Amino acid sequence: MAYNVSNPLDGEFDLRRAGPLAPVWIATLRVVVGWWFFHAGVTKLIESGLNFTAGPSYLQGMSGTVLGPVAVWMGTAIPGFIEAIVPLAETLIGLALIVGVLVRLASLGGAIFMAFFWVGNAEFGHGVVNGDLMGLLLFVTLLVLGAGRYYGIDAVLERLAPVENYPRLKHLFG
Amino acid sequence: MTDIIDKAAMALSSALLLVGIVVLGVVEILDGVPYGAAPSTNEAGEVIAQPGVDPAIRTGLVLAGLAILGLWGLYRVAVPAAGIDRRTTADATTGTR
Repeated sequence: MAYNVSNPLDGEFDLRRAGPLAPVWIATLRVVVGWWFFHAGVTKLIESGLNFTAGPSYLQGMSGTVLGPVAVWMGTAIPGFIEAIVPLAETLIGLALIVGVLVRLASLGGAIFMAFFWVGNAEFGHGVVNGDLMGLLLFVTLLVLGAGRYYGIDAVLERLAPVENYPRLKHLFG
Repeated sequence: MTDIIDKAAMALSSALLLVGIVVLGVVEILDGVPYGAAPSTNEAGEVIAQPGVDPAIRTGLVLAGLAILGLWGLYRVAVPAAGIDRRTTADATTGTR
């Protein structure tokens, strides 16, 4: 985005101006977020395999929230799928972020998870800005920044011939 | 046209997020106890005061803002921004991130 002379507050975006720490910090943040989800997922897999029965009941308990209709439907219509996908997706999202592969796709998945946690947990005693919302915003930030480009495998994948030939694939990487 | 869509999507998305979190947060403070978005309870656990703004409205606004951002992302997949692609190519050739 070019510098907008008509609006002095609309500064030019250039990560290099933030100094050499910026890409290192983004990569560190990505790995930490990845570990957060990987730990949550892999411990579920260890304890209950692909039968995470708390998943459907959690979704069924979300009636009355803004995501209630979708959550309750998911919890009642496809409980078996939810029991399997929650630990599996958390683990894979975590792994993807740790190594930096398909980070935008993984971050989208993480953001969807966190949206359900934020609304479902509803721990708003100190306001709506809580740890769950921060997690949700972290995933959106990693998605927007294309955090896989920084010390991640996406930096390599983006330069492969199939991606160069089909630039739209870049929306999954980065 | 696409420039207008870009600006409208980003502005609307940011506005919904900020209204849901900050503006309605201020309203909630001005409305008095509870200052958080959960009901106040006494020692017996009985609800003695409800938040001034229903948390469902605030969470709904934030999620709507993020959903608009997501829809805009899908639109950008369907209609890639030529400028961004050029910059990416230039970055790759100069070795910048």
